[in-house]
Amino acid sequence: MIRRATRRIARRSRRVVRVARWEASRATGGVDRRTLLAAVAFLAVAGGVFGAGAATGTVGLDVDRDVYRVGVDPASPYADAVEGEPALTAVPIEEATLGSTVDLVVREVRGGGSGPADVFVRAVDTPKGEAAAASFREAVDAHNERLMAAESNGTAAFPVVVTLRYVSRGSALDDGRTVGDASTAGAASDADGSDDAGAAVDDGGDDGIRGDGDDVDTGAGSGTDDGDGGSNSGGSVDGDAVDGERGDDGRWFLGGGGTGDLAIPSIGGGAFGASSTGSPGSITPPFPFASLVLAFAFLVPMNFLAQAYGSSVLEERTNRRGEPLLVTPLSPAEIVAGKTLPYVAVAVAVTALIALVVGGGPISVLAVLPIAATFLAATFVGAVFARSFKELTFVTVAVSVLLTSYAFVPAIFTNVTPVALISPLTLVVFDLQGEAISVGEFLFATGPTAIAAALLFGLGLGVYREEDLFTQKPVTRKFLDALAVRLSAVGEGVRESPATGVAARLPRRARGPAAVAFLTACTIPFVFVAELLAVAVLFALPITVSIPVLLVVIAFVEEVAKSVHLYAGFERGVFARTDRVAIAVGLASGLGFFLAEKATAVVQAVGLTELYVGRAAFGSVAGVAGLSPLLLAGLFLAPLALHGVTASLSAVGARRDRTRYVLALAAATLVHAAYNVGVVSLHG
Amino acid sequence: MGSRLTVARREVAGLRAEKTILLAIAIQLFIAAFSSFLVVGLVSMYDPGALDGAEVEVAAAGDAVADLERAAAEVPGATVTRYEDAAAARNAFDRSAADAVAIATREDTGRISVAVTAPDATVETTVIVVQLRDLLRTYERIERVERAESLSRPPLPVPDSIGSSPYFTFTYTVLIPVLVFLPVFISGSLVVDSITEELDRGTLELLRVAPVTIGEIVDGKALAAVAIAPGQALLWLLLLELNGTPVANVPTILLLMTALTTLVVGVAAGIAAAAPDRRAAQFLYSVAVLVLFGGATAMAGGPTNAVARLAIDSADPATTLTVAVYAALGAVAYLGVRRLISANGIGQ
Repeated sequence: MIRRATRRIARRSRRVVRVARWEASRATGGVDRRTLLAAVAFLAVAGGVFGAGAATGTVGLDVDRDVYRVGVDPASPYADAVEGEPALTAVPIEEATLGSTVDLVVREVRGGGSGPADVFVRAVDTPKGEAAAASFREAVDAHNERLMAAESNGTAAFPVVVTLRYVSRGSALDDGRTVGDASTAGAASDADGSDDAGAAVDDGGDDGIRGDGDDVDTGAGSGTDDGDGGSNSGGSVDGDAVDGERGDDGRWFLGGGGTGDLAIPSIGGGAFGASSTGSPGSITPPFPFASLVLAFAFLVPMNFLAQAYGSSVLEERTNRRGEPLLVTPLSPAEIVAGKTLPYVAVAVAVTALIALVVGGGPISVLAVLPIAATFLAATFVGAVFARSFKELTFVTVAVSVLLTSYAFVPAIFTNVTPVALISPLTLVVFDLQGEAISVGEFLFATGPTAIAAALLFGLGLGVYREEDLFTQKPVTRKFLDALAVRLSAVGEGVRESPATGVAARLPRRARGPAAVAFLTACTIPFVFVAELLAVAVLFALPITVSIPVLLVVIAFVEEVAKSVHLYAGFERGVFARTDRVAIAVGLASGLGFFLAEKATAVVQAVGLTELYVGRAAFGSVAGVAGLSPLLLAGLFLAPLALHGVTASLSAVGARRDRTRYVLALAAATLVHAAYNVGVVSLHG
Repeated sequence: MGSRLTVARREVAGLRAEKTILLAIAIQLFIAAFSSFLVVGLVSMYDPGALDGAEVEVAAAGDAVADLERAAAEVPGATVTRYEDAAAARNAFDRSAADAVAIATREDTGRISVAVTAPDATVETTVIVVQLRDLLRTYERIERVERAESLSRPPLPVPDSIGSSPYFTFTYTVLIPVLVFLPVFISGSLVVDSITEELDRGTLELLRVAPVTIGEIVDGKALAAVAIAPGQALLWLLLLELNGTPVANVPTILLLMTALTTLVVGVAAGIAAAAPDRRAAQFLYSVAVLVLFGGATAMAGGPTNAVARLAIDSADPATTLTVAVYAALGAVAYLGVRRLISANGIGQ
């Protein structure tokens, strides 16, 4: 028995490897030498242009260059401040008309001494005027820092030295050492002459935060990194060398450290628990920016990989090229596994290489693997559903954008909230920071993603057959097909397909409902992901808005998950269109959802419920102690009743037509949301 | 012209049938929503003024504490409470009566050293540290003014701070350019797919026997791709307008983006016609667009900056000149590519 099984597995893996080798040889032939040469030529031209531009000083990634116009006397010292700020452009004061040619007028008040005594600023009364005024204020601050950096008397220029430490409340603090360090650090930064704050603010400043990577200014050399990295003897970790630093202008800097140790990135401004010393301008709020940039490096190759993989799958489908493969004794699962294997291998290799370069460990590679699998799985489904390359392009872009943001955005809130753990990338950030990761956390972060990838492959495999691969159908219809494939007949007068596998062992009457319940249970990871994404997106909103919106969104997501395959079943004639059948499959779907939901009680173990928003989403069990057992049983079973009722409601609509289904779905969502509100107010 | 319009109409009909254009708009919406979410989230973390009544309570001690108190009076959102000594201040921190501890000591060198203790690893840490930095910078400024005699050039007086949303600059310099340029890339990608797909499926042969020239086929495909771009951009600008973000010079922005679309579509058509297959074509197109756009953005007065300045109504004659240059560039590039394709054919 066991020997037969091993032999079968060996045979199957041989077949998979054969397909994989064929796919690999085909894929490498895809981009020929001429194409590569052309790409290299493009890049060389770009490099030349950049080089020439940099040499002549016309290159600068200032997207905000000259967006605000300031009227200022060219002789005034404030003209220098405006000059030093790319976002501001100076207009001679005699030509300045507020509102039409300038947004801001600066007039200085002459004092008795060498400099101006005061300054008056008049801005247009619009948001633009306010933004211009704020930008000007920052420009003056930056200008002052530059002036001070040039001073010979360091004590007068930088009279305040700050030592910042992060400690948890209640832990011991040795003040003596800190103060001692402060003075040595002061001396060090004195000798330095140039100060980080000056350099950071120097590069200008509007008050916007840029979202894209272009603004990451990696050019800051060792000279700009002051007491932060070089001079702290106060126990700050080496990681400070690469710290994500934010000038007060909202721009991010990667300060190349004086210590030159790039291996361990840290949270900006020193890891929690460490300290940093410098002038007040050099204080950086904690933010895991450097780690995030490095973590992003893991995601970039996935997009290219997904594109190549999608093209390969769709290529099989055009002109029936894949047909010879389908008529071989290979099963669809073997073909797909073989086609996917080379891409997984490349993903692992690239990830390992990146990990090696940026200093990640095996944890990083393991955490990125489910993300890679999900990229490939989603692209596979897209490529099987798409009708043309054009459609595939959009599907791939959609997949890339969705998955990248799903993986990346929660990781930004690493160290801030446990919700960050919904993304496997958070593990990478942890790993890069050298923090320990518990097994529970690892499973929590990677589990849903990995299961989602497996289920997506299952969904796509359902339509990996001749009648779907080589026909042109809208994506929605293929989706319904893929769902209906997994269902069994319920009710009289519908065609039945012979049962296989586990289903064959079930009594005939139980097959249909069991398949429904199983399919509903399979949606749980997607529901989970969708709900967590909703939590993450709504996290920024005030709690009075986020909770009600969240309750409705969650209700909707769950109702769709419970009923969309029922609709597919009725549409594809797997279920008889009667109310009795509708209620039966609705109840089965509700039961499946209930059981699967209870199985995911893992969520609570990780402490996600600590978060208020998380509690609303997953229904804390806290606070039920002291209730009677009968009530407890009622509370436990109430969700079952709810899921059954709402799923039946949608099913009754789904058995008629699409319009009725949508209406019934809306009604079910409202019922569900009302129940959620009840539960949340009950738990208080 | 008629045959070109027919080809263009066929292209648009294909897009409509596949509803891909809806998907494209959905993707853009998602990107816009997400980047806004990100910015609002980060801003609320980094700009405590944006949070309602975020007030940081600092427990202070040491011989220079009086100056720190004076500085705190100038900083909204930070209050300093004096304690007898460091231990008492630390005690208040441990009791959660204070958000942070600052011990200000005068050194023999004439400097003032401030030892600051902030709480570890909570969401408030960022907010507290941002407020502390404001407080300490104000303190530094006051101290500098007092020591002005020792400085060769005293610092300039700083104008009073007024409330301004950091979101404002972001909207005009990042969000609007991104939303305006996304359709440009989508259009180029469409042309690559459209041409290589015809080649791949062999339908280009069918088109060739129809009474149209190869130039007209390319014209028609390009026309469809260029025509759908300004509509998408206009949709975004209108949405922003509804949302309370006035966008100036909309026609000029649309002109600039149409010129860029023509340029990118021309490049895309050229690549699709020259590349051996779809995969190579898409790869080359991605690289080319990255190079083109990255290069153009890096140049002073690049298209991104031009759109930002037009939208925020800070345009000057140089911006108008930029638009004209891109329009000419787009036309020249497209005509050049078309000539090349007419002479060499597609996929040979």
